[in-house]
Amino acid sequence: MKASNIKSFFGSAWGRWISILSLFLVMGLGAGLIVFWKGLSVTHLSDLVPWGLWITIDLSSIALAGGAFFLCAGVYLLGLKQYQPVARTATFIGLAGYTMAMLALMLDIGRPDRFWHAIIYWNEHSLLWEVTMCVCLYLTVLVLEVLPILSSFDWLRKHFPVIAEKLEGVHHYAPYLAIVGLCLSMLHQSSLGAIYGVLKARPYWFRPDIAVLFIMSAIAGGMALTVFASMLSARLTKRAVIKDELLDRVAYFVGWIMVAYLYFRFWDALSMTYTYEAGRTEGLNILTSGVLSFNFWFGEMLLGAVLPIIILLRKKTRSNPVLRMIALALIVGGVVAYRWDTNLSGLLVLVSYMPGEPTVRYTMYRPSIIEWIAGLGIISYGLTLFSLGVRYLHVVDHRIYEQERQTAKVESAETATA
Amino acid sequence: MSDEKVSRRDLLKVAGVAAAAVAGLQIIQKANASESAPTGGRQWAMVIDQSQCTGCGYCVMACRAHNDIPPDITWNPVIEAGQVGDQKVYLPRPCMQCAKAPCVEVCPVKASYYRPDGIVMMDYDRCIGCRYCEVACPYGARSFNWKKFDGPNPAVPEWGEPEVPRRPRGVPEKCAFCYQRIDRGLQLGLEPGVDEDATPACVVACPTGARVFGDLNDPNSAVSRLLKSNPHFRLREDLGTAPRVYYLPPKAEG
Repeated sequence: MKASNIKSFFGSAWGRWISILSLFLVMGLGAGLIVFWKGLSVTHLSDLVPWGLWITIDLSSIALAGGAFFLCAGVYLLGLKQYQPVARTATFIGLAGYTMAMLALMLDIGRPDRFWHAIIYWNEHSLLWEVTMCVCLYLTVLVLEVLPILSSFDWLRKHFPVIAEKLEGVHHYAPYLAIVGLCLSMLHQSSLGAIYGVLKARPYWFRPDIAVLFIMSAIAGGMALTVFASMLSARLTKRAVIKDELLDRVAYFVGWIMVAYLYFRFWDALSMTYTYEAGRTEGLNILTSGVLSFNFWFGEMLLGAVLPIIILLRKKTRSNPVLRMIALALIVGGVVAYRWDTNLSGLLVLVSYMPGEPTVRYTMYRPSIIEWIAGLGIISYGLTLFSLGVRYLHVVDHRIYEQERQTAKVESAETATA
Repeated sequence: MSDEKVSRRDLLKVAGVAAAAVAGLQIIQKANASESAPTGGRQWAMVIDQSQCTGCGYCVMACRAHNDIPPDITWNPVIEAGQVGDQKVYLPRPCMQCAKAPCVEVCPVKASYYRPDGIVMMDYDRCIGCRYCEVACPYGARSFNWKKFDGPNPAVPEWGEPEVPRRPRGVPEKCAFCYQRIDRGLQLGLEPGVDEDATPACVVACPTGARVFGDLNDPNSAVSRLLKSNPHFRLREDLGTAPRVYYLPPKAEG
């Protein structure tokens, strides 16, 4: 009886998927324990390149969680109520992303036992402090926003209907949470770029544009991941139900955000070519013709921006679900590539402090095996959380419109039937 | 009825915006004022005479011993800096103890901070090990403890005895002008820069007297007099970090 249960679990696609994820999770956990035991000497980070793969995962998961604040703002502040189920998916992805970022940070800081110091000891002057505070507060907002989603858990509804109802009731505060979430996200999504932008020691980063580009790519990437994950889930399981016209509109909007992003990115990069500046020019060279050039031209520009823009803005190509999914996945990849490239193009170039004209030295970084395994573990954690959400919490179900207040009830009922 | 509701709502909005503005302004003010440059009565500074430095590296070893630094870390490297005539020129580089230090500005937990006497200090018990300071320092003055330093220090006892506790794994460390020698010396009534026991170990160890230490606020201190009568420079002054380490450039002699 039990053996056959196990057999059917591993025989099912769900069972195989969860087994693969669990394998990576266990390996990641092992790698994480090695990091805590041996310290950061097991990484390929150095005093010259102190930030690497884990920071990229940290930045990327926060960026790709950016669909949550943007869609919630659209639904609850602009009144685009028909997108509420999409915002629900985005919120859950947001929770997955921010907890992934927390895991990556715990690995990356040298003293994970003191992670709470930023909450106790404030340096209001530090952007990293501001980001830490915003991320902690926003994670709280996300948890509150996810509570109503937990009420969709069938088991909970059956055994603890009172708790389920209470959790559902939290949705009453969705508009307020959306306001707080919007403020916090506008702050830290851009400040994450400004963390790099304020460093005068690193001329490649020392400009205001990174902050703007970070939030724009987070909005595009976050929504792209939400739509992609929804469409993929609907193809793989009956538990995910989508309304394609909703996702089509969001994807179209993502296309336009990418146009705006590309426009700013173009002038940002071009303006760096106006004069020679030690460190900045070399950083740009690394990006456009050096070790990062493939990433830049293919990962970020051609595949990460131009191609998806064409696919998403043309109605004919966008209506093709496979093409649309490819475009959205490419945007997600482009956002990750941008984080990786931004971090490294600043760190691979070192400006000398010796007297005379500043000269430039190059450094190297390739993540170690442990860094990769731990990083993959974090990513599998995010995938596992989302998969469980789709299966048990109806995270992707466009029939669900949660009710806020009496007035909202009528409105949402109307849109649902429309 | 509905008018009244709208006006109340508007009032709330205005109040909300006002509250946010006040809070925002306060944060900005605090951010500007926080950790402003030190203004204590005594301001320690170091003058390094490049024409005297022979690159012997005694300062590096004395620093390692007195501050108990692991062999793979150097707080105070002596860097080859070209040639003047047929003389090799060296540039020793301790922490610059900037008056406007990027590391202090970026530290999320104020583990890097200014002492009133201008020394940029590290609170190794507060640091979370994020390495933002390391990325922000224009002088590469910070080294991260990637692994635990256990075992004997090869520089001890030949070059001196440790005076400060070893730093734990997972925090960056850096030169702090041997603050422990200054503080203990002042307690004993000694004068830093004059009495060896109150002066940074690298200054004491230098066999050619290329390093001079003292109080910038005291016009009669050795550093003040040297800076008054000699051309000098600081590293990357264009960045506005205001270092407290001054260099006297090498003299071209026939």
